[in-house]
Amino acid sequence: MHAPASKTPPQRPATQEPVEFDRLYRDHVDLIYRYAYRLCGETESAKDLVQETFLNAYRGLKDFRGEARVSTWLYTIASRACIRMRRKRKGEPEHELSLDEFVPTSEGEFRLQIPMDGLSPEEALQNKELRQALDQAIDALPKKYRMVLVLRDMEGLSAKEVGTIMGLNERAVKSRLHRARLFVRRELSARGITNHDDHKSGGLRS
Amino acid sequence: MTKKKTAAPKKRSKPSSHRHTPGQGHCVDLLRQLSAYIDDELPSDICLEIRRHLGACPNCEVFIVSLQHTVTLCRHRPAPQLTSADRVNMRRAILDAANAR
Repeated sequence: MHAPASKTPPQRPATQEPVEFDRLYRDHVDLIYRYAYRLCGETESAKDLVQETFLNAYRGLKDFRGEARVSTWLYTIASRACIRMRRKRKGEPEHELSLDEFVPTSEGEFRLQIPMDGLSPEEALQNKELRQALDQAIDALPKKYRMVLVLRDMEGLSAKEVGTIMGLNERAVKSRLHRARLFVRRELSARGITNHDDHKSGGLRS
Repeated sequence: MTKKKTAAPKKRSKPSSHRHTPGQGHCVDLLRQLSAYIDDELPSDICLEIRRHLGACPNCEVFIVSLQHTVTLCRHRPAPQLTSADRVNMRRAILDAANAR
């Protein structure tokens, strides 16, 4: 607003990264934390992933040419960092989900329900047990399926964007997404979610 | 845990042997396309065919509703927010790590 005082005209800072980095960090840290939390399922791992992501972004900032959206670039860095971190921690084997395993083999299995009768999703998710069941189902997903589900259904990206981030074609993204959804549906249903007797407490059968 | 759960159904029976009525083959075909249907990615003639099948097959209708609910719950799954202190501390840690090479 005010004209700068009698200083010399603004010059390019000796190290440009911190200024650019601060803007990048300020504008995207919440987005990347949300993504990281959804991938990791708990806060400390999510914070580790955020730091790893922005450290890599800091180092790569000078090479970023703006060909992709900044958020897409950061999602990509975060996804790769997540895969590296999980490999280091658990060495968890990749588990393929086959469509065949989701074909119901009995009428009862076919008709398993997740009742949300008359409830908005926000109201339904106020039920702690339902929320925990959802968290556990997502957490139980093999990571390559979880990542697609999180990016597509929670972060709201298009299949094309998810493909760019994960290095997959759209067909593969959609295939993984479908399996991931079927997995979560089955896990939720298998926990015996009952009809809500009342909207606040509608519970799960133990 | 996941391994055991997912391995079990394969042992029980072949997918093609599931019993529900009507139109068993259609039900399996439909199951393969449900996400594309929910996401409105299918051509209109296939959508029409699916709607016809859903009208005639209560099992599939219940199944698709439960899958839609699953997607809806995922879309609205809450995530916690960072505190201001978290943001400041993480920024400092990142810059320290960067400067430490």
